[in-house]
Amino acid sequence: MIEFKDVSKIYSNGVVGLDHVNLTIEQGEFVGIIGLSGAGKSTLLRSINRMHDITSGSLMVDGLEISKLKTKELRNFRRKIGMIFQSFNLVTRTTVIRNVLMAKVPDMTFWRVLLGVFKKEDKIEALENLDKVGILDKAYIRADQLSGGQQQRVALARTLTQNPQIILADEPVAALDPVTAKQVMNDFKRINQEMNISILINIHHVELALEYADRIIGIRAGKIVYDGPSKDVTEEVLNTIYEGKIPNEMEEA
Amino acid sequence: MNEAILKMYEREPKNWYMKIAIALLVVGLLAWSLSAVQSGNDTGEGIKIAGKIVNGIFHPDTKLLFDFTTSGVAYLLLETLCIAFLGTIVGAVLSVPLSFFAAFNLMPKPVALLFRVLIMAIRTIPAFVYGLMFIRVTGPGAFAGLLTMSLCSIGMISKMFIESIENLDIKILESLDAAGCTMFQKIRYGILPQLFPDFMSTLIYRFDMNLRDATVLGLVGAGGIGAPLIFAMSAYKWNQVGAILVGLVVLILIIEVISSKIRTRLISG
Amino acid sequence: MEFYDKVWKPQKLVLSNGKVVEEKRSRTPVILLLFIAATYLSVRITGFSFYTIMERGSQFFVILRQMLSPDFSYLGSIWKPLLDTIKMSLLGSFLGSILAVPFAILASYNLVKNKVVLAVVRVFLSIVRTIPTLVTALLATYIWGLGTMAGTFAITVFTFSYVGKQLYEMIETVDMGAYEAMEAIGAGRAYAFLSAILPQVLPGYLSVSLFCFEGNVRYAAILGYVGAGGLGLILNEKIGWREYDSVGMILLVLFGTVLLIETISHAIRKKLM
Repeated sequence: MIEFKDVSKIYSNGVVGLDHVNLTIEQGEFVGIIGLSGAGKSTLLRSINRMHDITSGSLMVDGLEISKLKTKELRNFRRKIGMIFQSFNLVTRTTVIRNVLMAKVPDMTFWRVLLGVFKKEDKIEALENLDKVGILDKAYIRADQLSGGQQQRVALARTLTQNPQIILADEPVAALDPVTAKQVMNDFKRINQEMNISILINIHHVELALEYADRIIGIRAGKIVYDGPSKDVTEEVLNTIYEGKIPNEMEEA
Repeated sequence: MNEAILKMYEREPKNWYMKIAIALLVVGLLAWSLSAVQSGNDTGEGIKIAGKIVNGIFHPDTKLLFDFTTSGVAYLLLETLCIAFLGTIVGAVLSVPLSFFAAFNLMPKPVALLFRVLIMAIRTIPAFVYGLMFIRVTGPGAFAGLLTMSLCSIGMISKMFIESIENLDIKILESLDAAGCTMFQKIRYGILPQLFPDFMSTLIYRFDMNLRDATVLGLVGAGGIGAPLIFAMSAYKWNQVGAILVGLVVLILIIEVISSKIRTRLISG
Repeated sequence: MEFYDKVWKPQKLVLSNGKVVEEKRSRTPVILLLFIAATYLSVRITGFSFYTIMERGSQFFVILRQMLSPDFSYLGSIWKPLLDTIKMSLLGSFLGSILAVPFAILASYNLVKNKVVLAVVRVFLSIVRTIPTLVTALLATYIWGLGTMAGTFAITVFTFSYVGKQLYEMIETVDMGAYEAMEAIGAGRAYAFLSAILPQVLPGYLSVSLFCFEGNVRYAAILGYVGAGGLGLILNEKIGWREYDSVGMILLVLFGTVLLIETISHAIRKKLM
């Protein structure tokens, strides 16, 4: 369970990222976060695993106060939270399976990390997760030879190898074409339903958000302006979130 | 556990023996080269001298450093600068024809190959050997030094020149042809603008290197700041060594900053 | 440069449709003038004269001609110093490349956020880079005495400064995405570096180190001239005795060795990329 209590984030240049946010997300929810660029979607997501620090308020994940964690505790905490990026963030020069195995690195001894020697059970687990996202046959190919959609699946397999309880996805399909985007969203949906992993997605494409997420959080200038089931999102709600700008135009951007 | 996954696991490329072979080779080469480490001094003496050297560098002989006569650091640095400058220019003049003859896209393969071997041969002869040869021509002094620098520059300058020439975009010539240009016009407006920035950038870089390498000339009496530096060292006058080194380092740093500024402007326009 | 445009005002061109285009005055004349002045000064100071070259140029070929008929009977006594030279460059290149790694990491702004550390390490690297290798070798002979140790030291220092700069420039242009992902997974900075950055820079790093080694073999031959061991030692000796046919033989062997090493290293570097 993720709980925001009166959370604010003000950047050092004075920009308000989050403005008194209150929010509760239960285990196993599929949440789509929508809003204009710069509205604070990314800040909201990244404050959960403390890639960004919050300025005030309280943020609890499974009973842990995130802002109070020390470096070591923070690292242990982050291992339970997967993160997916718009630009995939793979080491493109190495093979797919090595990218997936990177999820095991924090638990390994220094020498194993230095020499890049992985255990058999880890490799099997990595392969299983590649199978789950449907690219088992690509395991020993260099990541830069895959298409964008396939690369995002590698990232997904890497995240699954962490055995996370929560997956934070920061614009996961923004760099993909519409067909591939749908396939990747299907993967997210399946993972959410079959493994009961909470999924929080930042997303530009309103239609995709409404189609796949069970719950929509609309954010505008750091404030939450809508929080409810996706089926209740009306034209009016979208107008509030997007300050009257037509969301379809945003999709093209 | 899934059958397909186990099968995939077995298919992992096994290249560990390759890695071990490389590791063994590297370790072997290192062990072999370690036998080269033999020192003539006992270390206690060495540390004492090292201390004196460091002390000298931090307490440079200011009288020598700010002496503006022809035996002072300032004049010697100026002389070194001039040797490096003119040496680069003469080297460039010699390199241009060599590079054109060694370019595979302009010359038949055997000719280009022949000139490449020639360039490599020129590069193999160490600077001080050239120095000795030129001293026979000009007598000791800066003149011999600049001629030496020019020959030493040929290797690297022509290598870069050849690269620029082989990267020439020929399509422009076609459009100039279509516009009815003469051969001279084609070279002037089609080829030179492409080569000029690369050539200049190479020359400035080489000038930088020549300035550093010019100390070698002092070994054989071919001018520059090398000779007084070596004299000061062999006389154990570490304060003078310090003064010369400080002057040299400051000069090279200044030139490096200026030249890298000019080069970025040249490349990015 | 704004100053330049104030002194020589941009030329105004009026197009037929009335629009005005400002064309800045070319800098070429000033650059050309500076260039000519510098050339003139250099010619005066170095005593450059075409007359001397014309008159006595043939003297240059006196030694060269003797070198061009190498004394093959001398070959036998070249091998040991040649191997010494190769050993010196091998060990020096290896030590220098290894030593460069921590410094390059500390000089990369995308890994180190402390500006003081960055500045100190960078200034240190560039000062080391300015000291001519020959001077390092000379100083080293005073510390370790004549011999290969001094040469190895000089090559180590040169390799360190060269590879150090190349490596931190490489690290700075690396894609930081994977590093960010590793941080999000909960890896410490060392583990994140090893698993996300190292695979990206390793081929380039090895390639630069090998390239440096190629050049070092040639350099090592010169260093011997100041007593730092290897081929240069016998070069110095033979030049002193004016046995230029032996000098020619030494240089021929050096040529062959450099050619061989460059070919091998070229092939490896091509594979790495």
